[in-house]
Amino acid sequence: MSETNGSLVLEVSGLRSGYHGVNVLKDIDLEVGNEVFSVLGANGAGKTTLLGTLARLIPLTAGAITFQGEDVTHIPAFETAARGMGYVPQERGVFPELTVLENLLVGGMIGERSAYERMREVFDLFPDLEALQGQLAGTLSGGESRMVACARALMQDPVLLLLDEPTAGLSPLYVDMFFEKIDEIHQTRGVSIILAEQNATKALEVADRVMVLSLGEAFAVMDAAELTTEKLKEGYRI
Amino acid sequence: MNLDWLDAFLISGLFSVVVIVGLGLLLHLQLGLTRIANFGVVGFFGIGMYSFGVLFTKVDWPFGDLWAFLISLAFGTLVAGLSGLLVGWLIADLDEDGVLVGTLGFATAVFILATTEQDLTGGALGLGGLKFPYDVGTVKADEFLWLVIVSIVVALIFLYVWWVHRTPYGRLLIAIGGNEPLAKSLGKPAFRTKLWLFAVGSAGMGLIGALFGVMERFLAPENLGIDVTLAAMVALVLGGTARAWGAVIGGFLIIGFFDIIVQSYLPLPKEWYGQAIPNIKEIVFGALLIVVLLFRPLGILGDMRRDKLMRRVHG
Repeated sequence: MSETNGSLVLEVSGLRSGYHGVNVLKDIDLEVGNEVFSVLGANGAGKTTLLGTLARLIPLTAGAITFQGEDVTHIPAFETAARGMGYVPQERGVFPELTVLENLLVGGMIGERSAYERMREVFDLFPDLEALQGQLAGTLSGGESRMVACARALMQDPVLLLLDEPTAGLSPLYVDMFFEKIDEIHQTRGVSIILAEQNATKALEVADRVMVLSLGEAFAVMDAAELTTEKLKEGYRI
Repeated sequence: MNLDWLDAFLISGLFSVVVIVGLGLLLHLQLGLTRIANFGVVGFFGIGMYSFGVLFTKVDWPFGDLWAFLISLAFGTLVAGLSGLLVGWLIADLDEDGVLVGTLGFATAVFILATTEQDLTGGALGLGGLKFPYDVGTVKADEFLWLVIVSIVVALIFLYVWWVHRTPYGRLLIAIGGNEPLAKSLGKPAFRTKLWLFAVGSAGMGLIGALFGVMERFLAPENLGIDVTLAAMVALVLGGTARAWGAVIGGFLIIGFFDIIVQSYLPLPKEWYGQAIPNIKEIVFGALLIVVLLFRPLGILGDMRRDKLMRRVHG
């Protein structure tokens, strides 16, 4: 396995989880430091299940999760979030009946710093949101909703951000913008990121290391620069 | 005080409106904001009413009536709140079907207890002996004063609901109702929040039940029919489940129409009042619910208008 960058933020060993008694993930081992760690895989490979399990929204059936040196295997989702784990789901990432401003304030309930100070920072990162702050999140476009979801997770001042296919179904313009923002979030704020993606080309541009998931198993874990097309195709079972 | 202008039917009609508005406001927090479809409103209303009534009438209190009354009222509210805590704990993680069955089941259990526990509740014959904690001269004056007192209590409930809409707590309830897994992933203790909301709402429903019992002076299982839940729900849905004013507007429209205009001012045959009007009322409630959900699912007042509210709160 490749080396993590800096001290460990997240350590996962022997992780198994799934739905209705069926394990989707099979004995996943994972170490993430201060880096952008990309999880690649075809549809059904287990990317969403992995991120949902790390966020403690999907119960695990075996294994252990250590976050910032603390065992968080059995604590509920809301406590993991309070410890600095931000999660942006692939779908339904906003509260539709709250305005953009309220969505951000819900994220800003955690932490010591003023919510309005943090909001200023996320508006600097996503300037389009400032003009939309009075709008109900349920009326936003797909790209705008993803921005709100991402901004709201940043309002938590996370140490680790779990991004589940943030660009799925978006126009190329939004896709490029999102990958730039992911890089900026990591570079300027020092937030570790686990990025689940199908768009391998774009993901590899920003990722330090990569895991290829294949049918719920870690097919390969390596530096992003070392991942070859052949290896990727093999992992995608193409 | 000269109350000649006020007839007993008007007091009774207004009292029904106030009671349903109060229940509708509490239901608004559960259903409108947090999406907990509580179909057991009358169960919490009933358990508060009977807990209060039994304690007040069956215990030989060593001190004055007012203290006995207030302690019994607090007891009825507390028992309803604890019941809400228990039912909430059982249903908080269930899906909509589970919540519906669980809350309906609780209301049925309360009805059966009120009917079968004859030593305590008087069974089907009912429990008498309740009275106002004051005497201002005439029955009409006593009832009018009670209407004013209960209206103040319901106004306070309205102010609480209005305040909740403007606070982070209100945002939290809407967030949990709109997307519970996401709320959890943002550090919100959804289960605990729903549990306390259910307990506080149930305590409020129990308090209203006890206050209702005092006006009736006689507790009987027929006060615990599904029509109470239905009336609160129809009022809320008609006015707008998502708006603080929804239950108020809806309550005045439907209960005001039937219990004041139809029963007091329309020249209908007297024999209709016993069976026909209550039955017609339930049929109209059901039909109204379907029509509103089909053509105006957000009710007369529409959605929450959070954008305007937020402009006022955050500038």
